[in-house]
Amino acid sequence: MKFSANRDVFSEAVSFAVKLLPQRTTLPILSGVLIEATESGLTLSSFDYEVSARTEIDADVEEQGRVLVSGRLLADIASRLPNAPVQFSTDAARISVSCGAAKFTLLSMPVEEYPSLPEISAESGLLPADSFATAVSQVAVAASRDDVTPVITGVQLEIGDTSLGLVATDRYRVAVREIDWDRGDNASGETSTALVPARTLQEIGKTFGHSGTISVAITATDERELIAFSANRKTVTSLLIKGNFPPVKRLFPETVDNYAVINTADLIEATRRVSLVLEREAALRFTFTIDGLTLEAIGSEQAQASENIDALLTGNDTVVSLKPQFLLDGLGAVHSEFVRLSFTKTDNPNKPGPVLITSQSSKDQAGADNYRYLLQPNLLLR
Amino acid sequence: MSKNDGSGRQVSATSVDDTTATILHIDMDAFFASVELLEHPELRGTPVIVGGTAGRGVVTSATYEARRFGVRSAMPMSQALRLCPKATVLPSHYERYSHFSRRVMDIFRDMTPLVEPLSIDEAFLDVAGARRLFGSPATIAETIRARVLSDTGLTCSVGAASAKFVAKMASTRAKPDGLLVVPAEATLDFLHPLPVGALWGVGRTTQEALERRGLRLIGDLAATPPEVLSKVLGDAAGAKLHALAWGIDARRVSTHRPEKSMGHENTFGADVTDPERVRRELLGQADRVAVRLRKAGYTARTVSLKLRYADFTTITRSRTLGEPTDLARRIYEEVRDIYDGVRRPSDRIRLVGVRAEHLVDASGNQLSLWDPDEDWREAERAVDAASMRFGRGVVKPASLMSRPKPVGTDEVDTGPRR
Repeated sequence: MKFSANRDVFSEAVSFAVKLLPQRTTLPILSGVLIEATESGLTLSSFDYEVSARTEIDADVEEQGRVLVSGRLLADIASRLPNAPVQFSTDAARISVSCGAAKFTLLSMPVEEYPSLPEISAESGLLPADSFATAVSQVAVAASRDDVTPVITGVQLEIGDTSLGLVATDRYRVAVREIDWDRGDNASGETSTALVPARTLQEIGKTFGHSGTISVAITATDERELIAFSANRKTVTSLLIKGNFPPVKRLFPETVDNYAVINTADLIEATRRVSLVLEREAALRFTFTIDGLTLEAIGSEQAQASENIDALLTGNDTVVSLKPQFLLDGLGAVHSEFVRLSFTKTDNPNKPGPVLITSQSSKDQAGADNYRYLLQPNLLLR
Repeated sequence: MSKNDGSGRQVSATSVDDTTATILHIDMDAFFASVELLEHPELRGTPVIVGGTAGRGVVTSATYEARRFGVRSAMPMSQALRLCPKATVLPSHYERYSHFSRRVMDIFRDMTPLVEPLSIDEAFLDVAGARRLFGSPATIAETIRARVLSDTGLTCSVGAASAKFVAKMASTRAKPDGLLVVPAEATLDFLHPLPVGALWGVGRTTQEALERRGLRLIGDLAATPPEVLSKVLGDAAGAKLHALAWGIDARRVSTHRPEKSMGHENTFGADVTDPERVRRELLGQADRVAVRLRKAGYTARTVSLKLRYADFTTITRSRTLGEPTDLARRIYEEVRDIYDGVRRPSDRIRLVGVRAEHLVDASGNQLSLWDPDEDWREAERAVDAASMRFGRGVVKPASLMSRPKPVGTDEVDTGPRR
């Protein structure tokens, strides 16, 4: 195999192909990047049986062939090459990469043992890349990172004909967002669901955020379903997580008449400041009255802190105890100058009603997007 | 109860300079057996074993006279009696032991508020601040030993040192009924000639791993670079053991130490082959563990199942939960699943144990938006309330109802473990 390629194009392709590889893999061969040179150019791909990434780039192919090489090492090399065309050739098990005056010799991995990448069926619909990327970043923060319960480590996609819903939860909070999308010829009048690992979806959002439109396909193979996202000659596939996502949308209250509107940046800064004295995992106390909002860090013997900020309260005075990071995740996701915190009622004395966080474009104007973040407060100690 | 049988006892000369040895470790001598002897003074000086008296009972404690024959705690009673046929076997009386435990702990607290109980019969004391009131650490230790003896009739052994683990090792060396002071400057002279197995935290496996590499004495550990120890034992353990071998232990005496696990286990009167019988036992133990968790205000992140087969092979399997629990139902379902996963038709089960681990303070838990166990939680809270009014056992799972306790069952509360 022998080819030469543009250094920036090659480097970017390698970096894309290895980005989704797991940090550690049980099978060493899965840490490789597969490079295939054909008449039409170069294909780089990676696959670990869960996730695959594949991209095509232009190259001058002198001699066709397939080779497997350590992904991380090649990515490190590709990102540091001098500004000159990349010359790539193989001689038996040796791979030589040269670029300007730099020369590398790498050992190839046994390409015959590499699994074939999953087949993708026809496209299921088209997504606007930027709003999808935004929605993913807003929702995925609420996904669980604890593999003990795999279903909630995913983001649930609820696929209708014209809208795509995203839902994630870790039991302590739920984030939901809907965006427009186009199911085109596949419109069926029904809503289907796909549960995609949150980490993978976040990478997909970052990778395809500026790609215009993303084509999406859901394929059933053998027992597992997989979802594919493609744009700009790049494709990422991921197995869907099996299992039933909990019916969390019914946790959202229909109407709330007790709420406060606060400047988002003020609340973020005050929360960060006051929580400096908190012990890990401890909660902050938020007291809302007609005079504004008081944040208090109590319960630590070492240090206490408090701060008052402006807040426009509608309804009754309210006290809630919230874990600061959970609040900050929601505040960071609303993307609006003001934020509305709504306090739901509850009859259960052992469990305070959840707090709903939504965007607010001004003090008295609710935000235009439909992002909602529901957070469970803790019991008030003392 | 340690394996210590009093041979190799080492106690301090009165002249030793003890000003730096402000941490005391106090360990009651053969505690359960000594408490039983208070009721049976005629058995003093004879081998006495406390434990399950039925066929499958185990030893919970033994007098030094019995230990000299090789009797050890957790040994099957049948084996203990083969080693020491003349021994008198007495049944356990836990309420008596906790009564005396409270009395001796109160004596410790008269000397200093800095008392850290390690278990029912041992505690660490920090007496640095008590010196002006009560004298040097050795004086305080002798005062405590005299008061424990005159108030309760029990003896205890005390180790005094400048670090916790050294104090604990010293009390072990001083047993029975002794005091050993290890001043700071004598710490390394005390530690280095001792076998690695004497170090706190070195169990049989670690000891064997070290001895395979020729590291027999604590002095050998001290002379080995921590990187080498880390290769043998893992990073954390390697660095820790190296520090201990140099007498370095930054842990302070803390009066509030969270319990790390709670469990129950039960040796069946006869080996059990019926899986339903095992599951019922799991349910009963899960219930006890959950009640104790709720009483202490803890939830458990991990539950574990221990099974001992007829041939004494023992397995422990644990499972980590999505969210911490204090519910019997949840604990039961997890250990039952573990059990069903390892079960083979030919199994003959001798002992089962259920343990709740990775305990966290329930009041600090982040509440979740939904709780799959909510109904059970309500039910178990109601049972707690009923038990509070009418006594334990008035309400229990139907499958545990009207089943008289099988004769020969020897139940051991394996207590809080730290």
